[in-house]
Amino acid sequence: MRLLVVEDDPDLNRQITAALEEAGYAVDRAYDGEEGHFLGDTEPYDAIVLDIGLPKKDGISVLEQWRRDGRTAPVLILTARDRWSDKVQGFDAGADDYVAKPFHMEEVLARLRALLRRATGHASSELLCGPVRLDTRAGRVTLDGNAIKLTSHEYRLLAYLMHHQGRVVSRTELVEHMYDQDFDRDSNTIEVFVGRLRKKLGSDLIQTVRGLGYVLASPGGA
Amino acid sequence: MTIPADGAASPAQATRAGPAARPAKTASIAARLFGSAALWTVAMLLIGGVTLSSYYTRSVERGFDQRLHVYLKTLVGAVAAGAFDKDDPGSFGEPRFELPLSGWYWQITRLDRDPPEATTSKSLFEEQLPRLAELGVEETLVGTREGYALGPESQRLRVVERIIDLGTDGRFLISIAGAAGEIDEDIQNFNVALLVSFLLLGLGLVTTTGFQVRFGLRPLAGMRAQLAEVRSGSRARLDGAFPEEIAPLVAELNGLLESNREIVERARTHVGNLAHGLKTPLSVIANEADTGEGAFAQKVREQAVLMRRQIDHHLERARLSAGVAFAGETTPVQPAVEALARTMAKIHRDRDLAIDVAVSDEGLRFRGERQDFEEMVGNLVDNACKWASARVAISVAPLAPAAAGGRSALRVVVDDDGPGLTEAQRAEVLARGKRLDESKPGSGLGLAIVADLARVYGGGFALSEAPEGGLRCDLTLPAV
Repeated sequence: MRLLVVEDDPDLNRQITAALEEAGYAVDRAYDGEEGHFLGDTEPYDAIVLDIGLPKKDGISVLEQWRRDGRTAPVLILTARDRWSDKVQGFDAGADDYVAKPFHMEEVLARLRALLRRATGHASSELLCGPVRLDTRAGRVTLDGNAIKLTSHEYRLLAYLMHHQGRVVSRTELVEHMYDQDFDRDSNTIEVFVGRLRKKLGSDLIQTVRGLGYVLASPGGA
Repeated sequence: MTIPADGAASPAQATRAGPAARPAKTASIAARLFGSAALWTVAMLLIGGVTLSSYYTRSVERGFDQRLHVYLKTLVGAVAAGAFDKDDPGSFGEPRFELPLSGWYWQITRLDRDPPEATTSKSLFEEQLPRLAELGVEETLVGTREGYALGPESQRLRVVERIIDLGTDGRFLISIAGAAGEIDEDIQNFNVALLVSFLLLGLGLVTTTGFQVRFGLRPLAGMRAQLAEVRSGSRARLDGAFPEEIAPLVAELNGLLESNREIVERARTHVGNLAHGLKTPLSVIANEADTGEGAFAQKVREQAVLMRRQIDHHLERARLSAGVAFAGETTPVQPAVEALARTMAKIHRDRDLAIDVAVSDEGLRFRGERQDFEEMVGNLVDNACKWASARVAISVAPLAPAAAGGRSALRVVVDDDGPGLTEAQRAEVLARGKRLDESKPGSGLGLAIVADLARVYGGGFALSEAPEGGLRCDLTLPAV
């Protein structure tokens, strides 16, 4: 899962980014409205954390423009202004949720998890695929009830595939959603991670669709 | 603080109290206009009356004198012609010359005898007429004297006299007198009529002036009424056509109101910016402390919570105090309620609630700021959504003016089908910052904020039981 954080306060941006990375997400960051808009417009983020009071271009305008241009990534708005009129304005501009400053990081994480889950059509914070269970809240993976230790990249890859179960996910898509933009991307490393996951979770969990990519198949299912 | 028995306010309060404060008493414009016009009218009428009366007096005297002169000429003619019969002089067509003490007399005095010989009309009996020359009356150009004198039995007489010199035949003073009572009565009648008619005229003029002043100053009364509306918050500026004399004043007042509004708006924006500006660093501090351990991090966490409460408190106070300054703004109700319902549906989408909106009048407008309307209704609907099990109903309808003290008002009713509150809990929940259930998110200020804002707008807020068993919030607000 790859997220974008648009927040002009460098300390707050760093705190949010650090918390999100710790929770297993790949995170890009922007410090003003123009940069934020450009990134959201060109990169396929799974969710965006957007501050309203931004220099160069305010958050509401950025959001409205994304929605006009058909960008549908769920957006969590951060703002100091928490009157209902501000919230109405934010939701009408296309926001999916709203966190008022000052906030606890836990709240932002919980709201983001809910947004990601909803965006991929899952009702619970626990994703299941056969014997594999992924707890998005705790960032934990179990196989038949036994905890499995994953590196952050392995976790991201598995989480993305589990969110999009039953759909063929291309390597490019995986790369785009696993790494932040500063990472030196190499799609061959995806194969390495898939190999490691197969070793840890069983060889038939992740199936290769030749020429297209990977699909997560539940052994018990279709 | 105790208030003095006579109820006098402190100077600062008095200045703000407006109409009650009169720094230095100046006569009202109406009193000035009316006073000066009345004074002028009375002075003019007095001068006119005196002039008319004296003119009339002279003219009556002249007419009377002319009659006396006729008799004088007849007597002079008779004396000059030597045709005067001392023993039977006749009455010259005036019977009152023969009536004793009638007030009408003649007298011929031969001056070249010593003592002078006087022949008089029968009416004089043994009396003699006074001589005008001795009373200091000046001779006229034609050699006669005319004036008033006292005759027999203190009768007031009008006398004309003339001296004729017949050389060796003698030198005669011929006097004719008539009762001045005739003149006096005539003049008095005229003066009474004059006084009555001038009094009526003066009264009419003063009344007209009163009407003129009232009519002329009516635009000022209109202006005052509008200013009172501005003060009470139901009007933002002075509107309508004003006469050119006060139009500049109205323009200046509107300018003043506008700049006042701008100042308040700017101050409010500053407070908002300051408070909101603090929230980002506060987030950083709180998050930094959350990752730390030990007493220091704990202290920072506690203080961050206190700071947040302070900020919220002062932001809310700034909002409440600004209420009246934004008079004149109106908010269309339907789009605002629909936007709120849309937002609530998104916020509470996991709960699968039905949010029904019914606005009975599409053109209904709230008399006040949209932000405040959304804050009040938003808090009510959000609260209802938190507690409802399946359904929230929002209905807005105009309130009959009779039910709202003669002013147009609207009523917002928000019902939920949740557990509801007992009567005691309802009273408690409106108390500042009280939260009955800590398990639901929220600052606990929601309903109290609604009550405060409704009060600022002169509206009302009440809680009762909804038909479906949950809580019913009943909000009354001024409408257009």
